[in-house]
Amino acid sequence: MDILPTSFKDWPIILEINLVLGISFLILAFMLLCVVFYLRIYKNMRNSRKEKLEILLLDFINNYLFNDEFDKSKEIMEFGARHLKTGFDRKIALKQLLIFHENLKGESSALIKELFFGLGLYNFLISDLTKAAWYNKARALFVFCHMDVKIPEELVEPLINSNRNEVRQQAILYLLNQPADNPLGFLDKVDRGLTLWQQIYMEDSLKNYPGDMPDFSKWLDHKIASVVIFCLKMIADHNQFENTPAMLKLIDHPDPGVRQQAIISLRKMEVQEMLPILIHNFPRESTALKQEILKTIREIGSEKELQLVAPSINSKDRALKIDYLRIARYFNPKIAGSKLKAFNTDQLGLSKLSL
Amino acid sequence: MKKRILVIEDNPMVVKSLEFKLNKEGYEVFTAVDGRNAMEQLEAENFDLILTDLMLPFVSGSQLIEHIKKQFPSIPVIVLSSATQENIITDAFTMGVDDFITKPFSPNELALRVKRTLGKI
Repeated sequence: MDILPTSFKDWPIILEINLVLGISFLILAFMLLCVVFYLRIYKNMRNSRKEKLEILLLDFINNYLFNDEFDKSKEIMEFGARHLKTGFDRKIALKQLLIFHENLKGESSALIKELFFGLGLYNFLISDLTKAAWYNKARALFVFCHMDVKIPEELVEPLINSNRNEVRQQAILYLLNQPADNPLGFLDKVDRGLTLWQQIYMEDSLKNYPGDMPDFSKWLDHKIASVVIFCLKMIADHNQFENTPAMLKLIDHPDPGVRQQAIISLRKMEVQEMLPILIHNFPRESTALKQEILKTIREIGSEKELQLVAPSINSKDRALKIDYLRIARYFNPKIAGSKLKAFNTDQLGLSKLSL
Repeated sequence: MKKRILVIEDNPMVVKSLEFKLNKEGYEVFTAVDGRNAMEQLEAENFDLILTDLMLPFVSGSQLIEHIKKQFPSIPVIVLSSATQENIITDAFTMGVDDFITKPFSPNELALRVKRTLGKI
């Protein structure tokens, strides 16, 4: 405890430790307070800058769009040089332009794009795409996609397999929204699974696709299961009945998710040819898939098929038992309650239920 | 004398653009950011046309249109909304609105529709 003055030397050690710790905590608390103040002031300054710039931008963009006496080429140069000096300023400008682009169409939309290029925001975002930070890349792709600005594909394609979901999603959305004959061409290059959200966004984008819907069977042999699942779903949604032979093969796919989606899609398309395969596979399937098969029998099968799968239902599997009984009742509403109860006692009773 | 238009919209960007464009077209523009404020202005001032969104804070666009059609039936109303569902548009016309413009909108087209609606008065 040499740091203490000599007058404190006679103090008991416990008091000395207390004093040192007390002073340390006081210094620490003061430093923390300084950091809090600094962050608060920094945030306030940024907010104040943001508010001022937003007002300036609103005025500038409105003049650019609607004022015929506005000297566009001169003003755009001046505004960019005077007000958009930092990355923060450019981000605010991008946000404002996006809001304008979302709300206006026609000739104003073309002028907004003119502003986007004129203020140097295209180059700013292109440099963001090559930076390491994932959020810069995701933001750049988001803006390019929403502003309908075309960028070199070689900048986007590597991002389809980025480590970050957010970047992958934006890259997929960008490519999907580009006018092309083959909007799903990028799927050939996908080597990471598609998340559920990515699939939802893709489905939504395809709804607005103006051209002919692609043939989804091209990707039924894709190495990534989620790509196959997505294509199976799309085939059913877009009634591509010519693809049913290829879909039938997927009922034996090694991935259970693919098998399940194949059953769901074929059921939706009412392909009865799958029933013998389903009955054959029933004993070795998981409970979830067995339930899917039972549902399929109910929707496109008959009582006969239900009887064929009955011996493979384990009497201890309650969920399956309930499903089976519901379907038995559906096929034969007059079946006696006592016969249904018999199911609980022995498995053999199952096949006799609907007799 | 300049025609007076009340713009009821909660998106500051849209408000500013409409104000700018309609001022340029020679109208006197008043703005309200919510239904409550719009009602106050309607009681205090006279307007030749109302341009309103449907999704508004405090008092919804539909409630506001009902109020306007009851209290100020002679003022024409144009709805500017992002809603594209047929039933919403039909409901608006059933309530008595004069025109329905969907977002994103073309400012020039909007100016023409405003001119046409005011010309009918």
